[in-house]
Amino acid sequence: MILSYGHNALSTESMRRALLELSPQDAVFGHFEAVGGYALAARRAMHTFRTGPETWKHIAVGQRKWANLNPAAATAGQPLSFEEYDRSRWVAEPLRLLDCCLMTDGGRAIVLTSAERARDLRHPPVLIMGMGQHNPSCDIHQATHLAGPTGAKRSIERALETAGITLSDIDACEIYDCFTYTVEITLQDYGFFAPGEGEEWFKDGIAEPGGSLPVNTSGGQLSEAYYMGLTPLSEAAMQLMGRCGKRQLGPETCTKTPEIILCSDNGAILQTHSCVILRRS
Amino acid sequence: MQYPKPLPQVTKDNREFWRGCKAHELRFQKCALCGHVRWPASLICPTCHSKRTDWVVASGKGTIYTFAVYHVAYHPGFKEDLPYVVAVVALDEGPHLLTNIVGCPLDQVKCDMPVLVEWQDITREYTLPKFRPMR
Repeated sequence: MILSYGHNALSTESMRRALLELSPQDAVFGHFEAVGGYALAARRAMHTFRTGPETWKHIAVGQRKWANLNPAAATAGQPLSFEEYDRSRWVAEPLRLLDCCLMTDGGRAIVLTSAERARDLRHPPVLIMGMGQHNPSCDIHQATHLAGPTGAKRSIERALETAGITLSDIDACEIYDCFTYTVEITLQDYGFFAPGEGEEWFKDGIAEPGGSLPVNTSGGQLSEAYYMGLTPLSEAAMQLMGRCGKRQLGPETCTKTPEIILCSDNGAILQTHSCVILRRS
Repeated sequence: MQYPKPLPQVTKDNREFWRGCKAHELRFQKCALCGHVRWPASLICPTCHSKRTDWVVASGKGTIYTFAVYHVAYHPGFKEDLPYVVAVVALDEGPHLLTNIVGCPLDQVKCDMPVLVEWQDITREYTLPKFRPMR
């Protein structure tokens, strides 16, 4: 089976139009998805626990460091400083332009098959170790989970259970990062840090090249390319196959050679969540 | 002059809500079985799945659950409003309503701030419920 995604989101109007037409009733009040919805979520989080641009800038700048090791990234060769983040224009406050994912022309595909069939393939296969899904599913009007726990919390419990591992067995994460805040709330709901401890967790580079828990090692959707859930999933598979060149986890980037990588995906405004745990074969 | 922004899309479910707005009343469905007051309008109660529904008039008082300050106009009609505030208001009766905060300096809008409905008659047919800080 082939899982694929392709879109000319940058050079056509189709992605913008699709997003703007998501919630016609809310357009009456000048509210448009997706950035508007995530801004509402991020603001509620700022009210509920200690977070905000001081946390999110570490995510934006940290992921850019990975993108700078990835020649395929849309922002390759464009380093990012905290000052540039701070100067980045507001889109829907509290989110700045650099809190938002990219619009990209391109696509991704992965081949899914049985472990037996994969044995003779040219590349070493990567195994699906565990999966979990949870969908709070109510829309922005009724949502009371915008500052967590989101669907990520129950998804990870199920995924770890099916994989038969604990969180400390995870070597790296590829997190769906439509916005910087999405990365924070996902890792927080997964249990990597307590609510409000995100800034402390990110600020010393734990998620960056050389860090002990690399996150979004291609640059992610913020700095590599937006291919929906396939940005994280394909990067995890490539890392476990050892096909990532200068950004390869292991001695190349002064990180642990990964055995197990955790991927996330979420839909709408934190309404759906899915996680997949992949393992080197 | 023609109204430059998107107009409400009236459906069988929400017709009574928009009729209420025209009369400067916030009308919501209340489940006749479990008493849950709901929004958006729907055929069945999301809590107990009953179809038995009454309409009730809300007080127009609530608090800001969350808000965003728009600095980009995704529809040309909002260009001259920039920057403007979109908020989810938690009404005293329970439902959350997506709306705008008006009559408040941007740097003074806060989560959990008490607000009161303020009616804006936008066309002969439609009135929008917006909210301003409670004095």
